[in-house]
Amino acid sequence: MPLRLVAPEWSLLVPPLVVAATILVLLALDAVQERLVQRFGLAIALVGQLLALASLATIDWSRGATTFGASYRADWFALTVSLVALVAGILSVLVSAGYTESGLEPGVGLAEYLALLLFSVLGTMLVGAAGDLLVLLLGLETSAVAVYALTAFARRRLTSVEGALKYFLLGAFASAILIYGMAWVYGLTGSIVLSDIAHTLRTVVTPGQPLDPALLLALLLLAVGLGFKIAAVPFHMWTPDAYQGAPTPVSAYMSVVPKVAGFAAMARVLVQGLQPLSEQWVTLLGILALVTMVYGNVVAIAQRDLKRMLGYSAIGHTGYMLAGLAAFTTGQAGDRSVGSVLFYLFAYAFMNIGAFGVVAWLQERGLGTTLDDIAGLAGRAPLAALVMAIFMLSLMGMPPLLGFYAKYYVILALVEAGQLWLAVAIVVMSAVSAYFYLRVVTRMYFEEPVGTWRPVRTPLLGIGLALMAAATLALGLVSGPVLQLAQRWPAALV
Amino acid sequence: MERVPILSLITYSPLVGAVVLFLWANASPRAARWVALVASGVSFLLSVAMLLAFDPGRSGMQFTETFEWLPELGIAYRLGVDGISAPLVGLTTLLTVIAVIASWQPIRSRVREYYLTLLLLATGMLGVFVSLDLFLFYVFWEIVLIPMALIIGVWGSANRVYAAVKFFLYTLAGSLLMLVGIVALYQEYFQQTGIRTLDVLELARGQYSETFQFWTFLAFFLAFAIKVPMWPFHTWLPDAHVEAPTAGSVILAGVLLKMGGYGFLRFNLPLFPDATRQWAPAIVVLSVIAILYGALMALVQRDFKKLVAYSSVSHMGFVTLGIFALNQQGLSGAMIVMLSHGFVTSALFLIVGILYERAHTRDLAAFGGLARNMPIFAAFFGLFAFASLGLPGLSGFVGEFLALLGGFRAYRWAGILGTAVVVLAAWYMLRVYQRVALVRAPGEPPDPDDPELRPALAHGLPPVAGGSERDHPIDPRTFPDVDWREALTLTPLALLTLWVGVYPLPVLRMIDPALQALLAAVTGGTL
Repeated sequence: MPLRLVAPEWSLLVPPLVVAATILVLLALDAVQERLVQRFGLAIALVGQLLALASLATIDWSRGATTFGASYRADWFALTVSLVALVAGILSVLVSAGYTESGLEPGVGLAEYLALLLFSVLGTMLVGAAGDLLVLLLGLETSAVAVYALTAFARRRLTSVEGALKYFLLGAFASAILIYGMAWVYGLTGSIVLSDIAHTLRTVVTPGQPLDPALLLALLLLAVGLGFKIAAVPFHMWTPDAYQGAPTPVSAYMSVVPKVAGFAAMARVLVQGLQPLSEQWVTLLGILALVTMVYGNVVAIAQRDLKRMLGYSAIGHTGYMLAGLAAFTTGQAGDRSVGSVLFYLFAYAFMNIGAFGVVAWLQERGLGTTLDDIAGLAGRAPLAALVMAIFMLSLMGMPPLLGFYAKYYVILALVEAGQLWLAVAIVVMSAVSAYFYLRVVTRMYFEEPVGTWRPVRTPLLGIGLALMAAATLALGLVSGPVLQLAQRWPAALV
Repeated sequence: MERVPILSLITYSPLVGAVVLFLWANASPRAARWVALVASGVSFLLSVAMLLAFDPGRSGMQFTETFEWLPELGIAYRLGVDGISAPLVGLTTLLTVIAVIASWQPIRSRVREYYLTLLLLATGMLGVFVSLDLFLFYVFWEIVLIPMALIIGVWGSANRVYAAVKFFLYTLAGSLLMLVGIVALYQEYFQQTGIRTLDVLELARGQYSETFQFWTFLAFFLAFAIKVPMWPFHTWLPDAHVEAPTAGSVILAGVLLKMGGYGFLRFNLPLFPDATRQWAPAIVVLSVIAILYGALMALVQRDFKKLVAYSSVSHMGFVTLGIFALNQQGLSGAMIVMLSHGFVTSALFLIVGILYERAHTRDLAAFGGLARNMPIFAAFFGLFAFASLGLPGLSGFVGEFLALLGGFRAYRWAGILGTAVVVLAAWYMLRVYQRVALVRAPGEPPDPDDPELRPALAHGLPPVAGGSERDHPIDPRTFPDVDWREALTLTPLALLTLWVGVYPLPVLRMIDPALQALLAAVTGGTL
């Protein structure tokens, strides 16, 4: 067979390449002139991601083009994931503003911090665009390894290192399981290209028949591996420690972007690759969703530390999003499942990074991260309290905030798929979650401030928080375009 | 008139005021009060114009506004009022103005934030009454929760945080299931007709199976029953009322409870006619329990505000009794009771507030003989006390009479029991009036000429008036009478109470076409 060389379509790779170039610029500048990074690092990271965001417009996504064999796909799904990852990346850089000025330990540079953050964004974009299992794995690991390092960034603090170690060990373990599952899939279908896997499976799987044990094993291994990545119960053990131990801006980032990567991987692997097994994995995800949302929301009630509470709340939100995936029916136009999850991730980025951002803002002012530290904030800093209240109410799902729309679309997807029990579970858990989110609001508004307060100016962090609060407040009302984009996934995955 | 988006203007003029206050960071308390007064006043005047332009002969929606919003989900910005919602809009704007004036002096801390919250609350409440899209309705419905909880929690009395959280969690839990109900309804209608819509009027045209109606009715019912509140979902109410500042109680009793009754009329009845008929007997039982329970609880209260709160439970029982009697008299009665309760109970909360401002206690034992040094106050109080107990010629009588008549026609025993409770209402209302306005003040020496006391005095027994000077160091005999601002809050409510009591015809004419259409939809035209 003569070797045929096909030139890759480089133009499809522009957005991730822009991010990669930004990383290189940061690292090169750090080697040459460190002071410049200190002054302009944040701006470079922001501009780089904004450019990547703008470059998304240069590609015709409706073509659903693939390149590098079928390893890299530029379809609607990839676009949505890239959009969410970049938005979350930009917001994370904004909430890092205070920390990177005053919190970094001697010897660790801003360039490393930003480069790792951007690496993780890049990895997430790759997962979204993955056409085969290998690229998917590479993206997932690029995203994860960078965050392991970021978690340990406060390297002299025991909790930071402990959280990072737990996160790393369990993450590596999960990757091993995931790879093992991938190997089984490859062995059974003879391909690592997702669309080919689906094609092969369609010929061997008959709906309604019990599954071949080997296939079932492969499915379970993949589900467990991906479950770790998104912190679904019972694979969540690393989450609270990692969230609490990491520097707060890292927690903000970690609560969103790796989750985007995890859900993108789940959608690529399960919805695109293992679609013929949807009967099995829909049931599996439904159960996981229920357990996850109940556990996360109930345990969050007992938390006194804000970061830990947000960690458990993140588990609860993972449950809601899993429920959205479990609403998968046919993958035809009108199936809202994956779209509702993508929109949820988009909304979640604003409100969750925002909530962690307020905690970072408090820390800049010499306060701790417990509920006591936030008491009476409304008397001290009315705007910060208002912003935090907006994030809390949005996470709770109060209309007309962004979180409500996200939850509404998931519920809608579930009801349309006939999974009423999960929809009821979501609203019951929302009522439970109201208890701990509301506690933050009541302590801010109904109590007198305690502790010493060091007034400092953190303009960039303030702007970032204001931006996220405004988006949480108003974006829901005009959520139509994002929703429409998110709903184009069937063209990409099916 | 039809082309002016008057409902949007009514709904959002308080919001404009709220935004002004938000942006005006260093507004003085005085400026904040005036901004709130202007914003709520504009809303009120517009609603008066709307009510005057309202065509009472038509049963359908008027002043409708429609904009596409999220068409692929069937969500649109749809507003409109009919004979059921139009009077409630008027009630809401009026009570908002009254709440602004009533808070003029009592609210002294964080004044700007207070009025901002109050205006936000007004927009939420108005939105609930004018929305014709279930999604929009739900958004407004939930928006109401936050400012109300804040008003209780920040500006309330001692146990305010507990009351605010309880209020919030209770009502949130109820309404979340309604959300599932809304989505289920949307999906069911889509499967039947292929149309994606959340338009209430269109959804009411669907035919739903009995099982579906049964469960969806329940999901909506819970949300509204907690809001009304019906027994046994009422436990948040006494706490919320007792802890809320006066204006908060006025809004809570005057408007928020009506949202529950309105929800039944707008959603449960027309959307689920079969389930309505199926559930009606059970709900009537709950209503009669609420009427009895509220009155009995009111009898034993020492706290004036709690007494009014429990009387609210009893009055709202008449509303649900009238609604689920499912006949013309019952429905008209329920509507009139809602309006009348809005005037009378709000006024009674203002009365409690006026006393509290002077005595800093709501313990009934602290008062006495106020008719002497507060004659205007006593006159107002007397009017509203009699209206509350259902004296003919005042608004309370018209509504309760009609509701009981409807109840009697549908369920004889319910009518009989409900009527008996009117005696209890007279008992607790007259008792409290006597206690506050007529009998001796604590510590006041008995009148030696009082023939009833002469035997007791002859035996050297202590005076029988409740309480002692030591418990309540503030002498009620020194209280000044109502000032002009307090009188200003009470006067319009007094006039409306008299007007609806003496000449309810214009109101009935306005609400009847809508109610008749509703009744025809529920009973299938047969009656």
